[in-house]
Order: sequence, then C-alpha cells, then structure tokens
Amino acid sequence: MILAQQTFPTPEIAWSAFAPELVVAGAALVLMLFAVAGERRLLAAVPTGLVVGAVGVWLVLQGLTVPGGVAIALAAAAVAIPIGFASQPRLISPWVAGVALLAALGLVLWQYNAVFAPGGAASGAVEQLGGSIAVDGVALFTRLSVYLSAVLTIPIGYGYLVDRGLDREEFDALLLLAAAGMALLGAANDLIMLFVSLEILSIALYVLAGFARRDRRSQEAGLKYFLNGAVASAILLYGLALLYVATGTLELDAVGTGLGLVTAPQAVGVLGLALVTVGIGFKVALFPFHLWVPDVYQGSPTNVTGFMAAATKAAAFAAVLRLYLIGFGRVDDLWVPILAVITAVTMLYGALGAIVQRDVKRILAYSSVAHAGYAAIGVVAASPEGLSGTLWYLVTYAVTTLAAFGSVVAIERRRRGEVALVDLRGLGRTSPVLAGIFSLSLLSLAGIPPTAGFAGKLTVFQAGVSSGLSWLVVIGVVSSVIAAFFYLRIMATMFLDDPDEGTELPVITTGLSAGVSIAAALVIYLGIQPGVLLDLIVNAASIAR
Amino acid sequence: MGPLTAIVALPIVGAIALSFVDPEDHKTLRFVAMVFAVAAFVASLVVVARFDTAEAGFQLVEQLEWIPSIGASYKLGVDGISLVLVVLTTFLTPLILLASWRVDERVKGYFASFLVLEGAVLGVFLTLDLLLFYVFWEVMLVPMYLIIGIWGSANRRYAAIKFFLYTLLGGLLMLVAILFLFSEAGSFDYATISQLELSQTAQGWLFLAFFVAFAVKVPLFPVHTWLPDAHTEAPTGGSVFLAGILLKMGAYGVLRYSLPIFPDATVDFAPWIIGLSVVGILYGAVLALMQPDVKRLIAYSSVSHMGFVMLGIFALTLTSASAGVVQMVNHGLSTGALFLLVGFLYERRHTRAINAYGGLAKVVPVMAGFWLVVSLSSLALPGLNGFVGEFPILLGAFQTTRWAAVLGAFGAVLAALYLLWVYQRMFHGPVAGPDNEHTTDLHFREVAILTPLVILIVAIGVYPKPLYDTVEPSVDRVLQQAGLSGVGTADVEGVAPIEGAGR
Repeated sequence: MILAQQTFPTPEIAWSAFAPELVVAGAALVLMLFAVAGERRLLAAVPTGLVVGAVGVWLVLQGLTVPGGVAIALAAAAVAIPIGFASQPRLISPWVAGVALLAALGLVLWQYNAVFAPGGAASGAVEQLGGSIAVDGVALFTRLSVYLSAVLTIPIGYGYLVDRGLDREEFDALLLLAAAGMALLGAANDLIMLFVSLEILSIALYVLAGFARRDRRSQEAGLKYFLNGAVASAILLYGLALLYVATGTLELDAVGTGLGLVTAPQAVGVLGLALVTVGIGFKVALFPFHLWVPDVYQGSPTNVTGFMAAATKAAAFAAVLRLYLIGFGRVDDLWVPILAVITAVTMLYGALGAIVQRDVKRILAYSSVAHAGYAAIGVVAASPEGLSGTLWYLVTYAVTTLAAFGSVVAIERRRRGEVALVDLRGLGRTSPVLAGIFSLSLLSLAGIPPTAGFAGKLTVFQAGVSSGLSWLVVIGVVSSVIAAFFYLRIMATMFLDDPDEGTELPVITTGLSAGVSIAAALVIYLGIQPGVLLDLIVNAASIAR
Repeated sequence: MGPLTAIVALPIVGAIALSFVDPEDHKTLRFVAMVFAVAAFVASLVVVARFDTAEAGFQLVEQLEWIPSIGASYKLGVDGISLVLVVLTTFLTPLILLASWRVDERVKGYFASFLVLEGAVLGVFLTLDLLLFYVFWEVMLVPMYLIIGIWGSANRRYAAIKFFLYTLLGGLLMLVAILFLFSEAGSFDYATISQLELSQTAQGWLFLAFFVAFAVKVPLFPVHTWLPDAHTEAPTGGSVFLAGILLKMGAYGVLRYSLPIFPDATVDFAPWIIGLSVVGILYGAVLALMQPDVKRLIAYSSVSHMGFVMLGIFALTLTSASAGVVQMVNHGLSTGALFLLVGFLYERRHTRAINAYGGLAKVVPVMAGFWLVVSLSSLALPGLNGFVGEFPILLGAFQTTRWAAVLGAFGAVLAALYLLWVYQRMFHGPVAGPDNEHTTDLHFREVAILTPLVILIVAIGVYPKPLYDTVEPSVDRVLQQAGLSGVGTADVEGVAPIEGAGR
C-alpha cells in the first residue's frame, strides 16, 4: 500500500484499484491465523485489529473517509467476533468471512462512486500498476457478482457443512481466496495478471470441490476438476505465450494493437488465439470444453457448486470479455464466426443434455452450460450493448443460481445424499415455501418474466439482435424452450406429484433461509425493477484500453 | 394511479393478500378472492363510464418510467377493442371463481393463480409498451400451467407442459421480433413502433414471428393441438378462462400489433391465413362432431369458432373485423357457459363420456334449458349473440374472399349439427340407467352463475349496437393505420384479386 503510494503519482487510485481484494485476501490470512492459534485466537485477533485499525485511522486522516471507516469497522470486527462467539467457535470463521465480504462490497460501491459517478476520479477507465489492473465496468461488476455470491454462499452453506462434518476452518479461507482470485481476474488487464488470478481461483476451487474427503463423488469431482483444469491452464498459458511471441507485449491493449498489425506473424497469433479459446472455454464451460461440468457440479459439496456456478462464471466471462474485445478486438473476423458457432452449440447441447438427467445437481450443471452459451451471445455481439448485456446477465444468473442451489442444499441436508428428481415428489405440499423459492429460481433460469433471468436474457438477446445475430438469438430461443421443458419437469415433480410415504421435511436453518430468501428476493427485484442496476451497468459498461 | 392501473393491480394485490390468509380457512380465501375480482370488475365499469366511444384512439393513457436505459416504460391505455375484452375478462373472472366454490384442494393456490392470471391477461389487453406486453404475455403462462397441472384431471401433467411449451416457443419468437423492432425504433413504445417504416422483407419475417405467438394462442390450425388437451384436462374454471379469455389474446394481438406494424405483410399473408382459418373452421367442426367426450367436443368447437374470428379479421373489411371482435366476446360468453355446464354436470357424475348420459331433460330441466339456449347461441341462431357476430363476418368475407365465406358457412352448418346432436344424445330420449335418474338439477349458486351469461347472450343478440359502436371506431383506426381504409367494401388493395377467388 505504502509502497504503491511512493511509486505512483495518483496514490489513492493505485491501491484503491484492488482495495476490495486486499480486504478479502487479508481476511483469508486472518482466518488461517485463527486456525493456527486455536483457542488462543485472541492473540492473533488483537494485533490484527490494532494494525488494521491504525491503517483505518491513517486513511481517515488522509481524507479517505469511506475506506478508512471500512478498515476501522473491520478492525473492530476482527476483535469483536472472536470475543462474541467465544462459546460457539464454529461460527467465528463464517462471520469473519461474511463481514470481510460485506466490507468488500462496500468498497466496490465506493469504487463505483469514485470512478463512474459524475465528478468521480475518472469518468472512464483507469489502469494502475503498470497497466496490469483495470478499474472499469467489467472489473466492478465482476466484483459485485463474485462478492455477492460469496457472501450469500456462507450462510447457505454453513449448516450444510456442519451436517456433513465439513465445517473445517480452511473452508472459509479458501472461499475468500477463490473470491479474491475471481475479482482479480475480472480486473486483470495483462496476460500475466490474467493467468495468475486464474490460478489463484482455480487452486482454491480444486480444494473446495474435493472438500468432502470421505465422499467418493467429491474426491472424483476434485480430481477431475484438477486434472482438467491443469491441462486447460497449461493450454491457456501456452496460448498466452504465443500471443507474447506474436506481439512482443503482455498488455492486453497492446496485444490487440499488435495482432491488428500486418507485421505480426499471423500463424502464431492465430494459434495463440485458438489455444486461449480452448483454455478459457474450459473455465466458462463452453461446448466442447464443458465435459467436466456435470461430474464436478454433482460431486462437489452443493454450496461450493452454487458458488462455482455463480461466481466462477462471472469471473471467467470477465476474462473472456477482456480477452476478446480488447486483446482480439481487431481480429474479430477470425473469432466471431467460430465463437458464434460454439455459442450456438453450447446453448443447444446444455439444454438437450439436461433433459436426460435424473439428478437435480446434474440438471443444473447442464443448465449452467446452456447459460454460458446465453452469456456468450453478448461477447459474440462485440458491441457496447453486448458488453453490458453479458455483465448484467452474469449478475442475474448469479443470484438465480444461488437461489437454486440454496434450495438444493436445503433439500439435500436431510437426505444426506444425492437429490434425484424423484426425491422432490410432493415437495410443494410438504414444504411449500421452499418449493416456491426453488420454482422461482427455475422460472428465472428459464427466463420467464418477471424474474431476473428474464431481464438478463432480454439484454443479451437484444445485444445479439442489434449486432445482426438474429439467427444466434433464435437458436437461443429454441434452447430456452427445450430448457423450459426440464425446469417445468422439476416444478411438476414438486407440485403435481403426491409426496411419497415417509418423505422427510428438509431442514431449514436461519442462515440457510436468510441466504436463500435474499437471493430469491433479488431474483424478483431485479426482474420487476431491473432499471436501477441496469442503468449502472449501461453507464459503467466500459472496458479499459 | 389511474383506473387502468387499478384494473391490472387489483387482482394481483388480491393474490398477494391471499398469501396472508390461513390456507385452511377456505371461506375467507374464497371471500377475499371474490372481493378483489369484483373490485376489478367495478374498476372496469368505471373505465366504461369514462370511455368516449366517439374517440378511436387510446384513452385514459397512463405512463411511468420503468427501465429508462432501454426505453421501456409502464404505459397503459384503452381503446374500443381492448375495452370490450377487458370487460369480458373482469366479468367472467368472478363467475369463474364462483363456479370454483367447491374446489377443496389447495384452495389458496387455486384462487391466487386465477387472480394472477386475470391480472396478467388484463395487462396484455391494456399495455401500450411492447416489452411490458411481452412480460404480461409470459407471466400468464405460469398460473395457467399450475391451474391445469394441479387441479386438472387424469392427463393433466402432459396437457399442462404441452400448453406451456407451445406458448413459450411462440412467445420467445415474438420476443426476438420485439427486440428487432426495438433496435429499429430505439424504444419499446407502441406509438413509436407503429410508426416505423419497415422494408417488405423485414415485415414478412417479423410478421411471422409475431404471428406464431398469436396463432398458437388463437389457436389456428395447425398449431391448435395443445388446445383440446388443455381444455379437456383443465378444471372447469380453467377451461372457462382458457376458452373465454385466453384465446382472445391471440386475435387481440393480431389487431393491435400485426396489422398496424406490418401492414404490407398482413396483406401479403392474408390469403394464407384466411385459408388456415377456413381449414380450422371445418376441421374443428368435423372433429367436434366425432368426439365421444363432451368437453373435448366443446374444445374442438372453439377451434372452429376462433377460425371465424380470424377469418373476420383477415378479410380486412371494417364489417368483418369489427364482427371478429364482437365474436370474440360472444365466443367467450357462450363457450364459457358451455364449459360451465359441462363442469357442473361433471361434478355430479364424474364422467365426460357423452354415451353415459341420456334423457337428462326430464331429470334436470333447468340445466337442459340453459344448455339449449347456450348451444343455440353458439351455433349462431338469429336473435342470440352468436348470430350478430358470425353473420357480419361471413358478409364481410364474402366481399373480399368469396370462397372463404362460402366454405366458412359450412362450418356454421356443422356447428348446428354437432351442438344439437350432442344435446339430443344427452338430454333427449329415454332416461338411461339409474345414474341419469339420480342426477340432481342446478342449484341456486349455479343458476346465479349462468343467469348473467344468458342475459348477455340474449341482450347482445337483440341489441348489438352498443358493442359495435364501441368497437368499430377503433377497428377502423387499425385498418386505416394498415392503409386499408376500405369501409366494408371489396376494393381492398391486394386482397380482392386473389387467384381463383369465388370462381
């Protein structure tokens, strides 16, 4: 922080560019300290609180009231939470993580105000740290999606982890690290930063996917995700290296300029582009790089699955937007047709694949593949509308998918096993509220108004149509109708079938119901009144160059 | 908040209010639902009182910002066409709720679904913003899906999903077209979009995209196949709502959107659509004739009757198109009443097979009387409402597409055949078996539901002028917007010289 201040002429922007990540990563470190300290965690908490508090006071004295205030609040929380929950030490790490994420969300809003509001530090995009971190709309809304997903995942998952005996302290630390990596990926503006942040989030997620050590499916998920992910990372890295060879630079904007020049070695650049497409296609799960998705989504602990679906998608798509619109922006005749075809196949494949599934998590996994396709329409559109459309779509998908997986968590908790379609029979009678929320999220996934999913689909479809991609949008429509079939089948199982004898009621704890309800409320709010956030996104749909 | 917002909001507020009532307290649930449905009816009467029939354009317009960044607003307005359909909806809904008094399974969900459905349909009729129109159009799907799926009969699950997917496919194609119009006009506002000058090719594609959505709803042959399943499997209230109100959304959409926005394409496609309408009229009638299931028979008769409505509209004369709108109301009243009667009979006997009944007229004379009047209205007996709609449709169609009118008239003959034949088989002849002997006649609540319908059936049949006065100026305006100001004459450009017409 202080180093940054000395090096750069505009110090407050330099560190504020990644202030939320500082908080989140710092909290992850504090959680690990707590884990090491065990019963004597106050020995770790008090010094941390003092240091953070001092930084906060210093910031306020510098005139930075908001971040200073956040730091002071965090310092207070770092001490108060271990004391307050001394009798229930299990709750300490979820609370610390939750507070840190809320603080990060607060800082995101502050960033928005500082950068994009009229009279802010810059009305456009700002880059810092040698251009490796961008402060622009993509970064901001990725942070929003990621931190919102993470902060909802904590209450949704807590009771579930306790039930399965998985409430180890490292869970929250890993979640925070993954979130920080995702947020950085959203802001990464050069090839190195992009790769490093992708690795931060991936490594944390590999562990989280295999977190249920004694569950063979979870082991399988962890291993599968790791092997596939490692190969994809290697391919991506190779692609990035070739781009460097072709253009002689690591900065995305310069890569874009370089690729546009006739002097650039065409073949090397094209090969780099192709390899990057493969690597990043794996992360966002576009056909045919989606094969890991069903197994990993099914095997991972359900709260992790929800977080992966909501947040990883947002972060990886931010990287896609940046790579294709900036890095490959001048050679769009090369990738637009290919990505359009991939998008079309992804939408159809995801929808068709889900139809034959019996396991609810697998159905949602295939549906997430289809949704990657919808989000990609905005990328293929290669326009400002497409940019804001995809960002907005990712926010709506995040809240929707969290509500959906949260409902699955609730159903799964009592069953202590997989949730097949038949297990949902009669849920509409035995627990109408839960079935109602689950249905709401399914309708939102299907894109029926007035839900967030509709508002999201509307904007990407609109971007597609105005970029002359009506055929792609029509395929999206066909895919939506196919997808509606299996969402409806889940609803039909819940509401139209009678409950089996002796079906147990799902357990719903305070944290779970709070998390799911907030997600569901957001699904409705963003569906009925999308204007507020959509305006923000349209205003801030900038991308650093 | 103006009266139009009140009309749309009251049912939805009612549905929300229901969610706070104890689910076991059926009396309160019914009462609350009824209060809000009647309140919506009263609000629609206020609109009728304030409505100026001399004015053809939109009245009582209300507008609020909704999603400013994409130019979508909350905009409602009413003209003659939407007014009659709104009143039809708010009038039928309380009767439907009253007919559902005996529903005792998941009562709360049932009444809440109907209120949401009513609110969404009213929104469809009243909105003047294409995005909002689409939203209401799709919102309607979910409650109807639940009504068929939860409270329907044996094969309900299949019917519900079929209904949903058919409508969704049509709706989403329409969404793509709406988005295209938005990218041309920069706004979702109806007034702006209806002023667009679109190329011939664009009009053709967009017309088709909209038309698939509307044709599924109407339903027009060959996309009518969801209807017999949905109507038959739905509970009585659901069938009445489907036949009486939902089917009108398609024809309404054609008048409100297809004609004014894509006039050239409308004229181009009119002969084809007239052809499909005529096929629907005859095919529906023939299939109705052959049904062993009385509810399915009425469902197919709807296909036939709605074919008349589409024929009237696409004949593109003022007479026939106005009569098309009037016929929508008539169909809502008489087919709605028929479904109610079938429902009442089903509650008593739990079978829909025609051959299970016989000689009922002696056992249940009141029901037989109502059934006869309603059947006669449905087969367009002069003096009842069906005639004042169907006759001008054929008259108008005769001027522009003679062959269609001639063939369509056979549909009217077939209607007499299947409706009278089923009446004869079920109500006349010897009383067959103990089940028929012990069928009880209509009781007070049921008579109270049917009486207002029959009064309107007779009133419109005898004195249709107020209805036509309300509808005609707006229909004329629509035809003028489409550049078809031929007032009931045959000189409609592009339609008259159809090859082989009337030869």
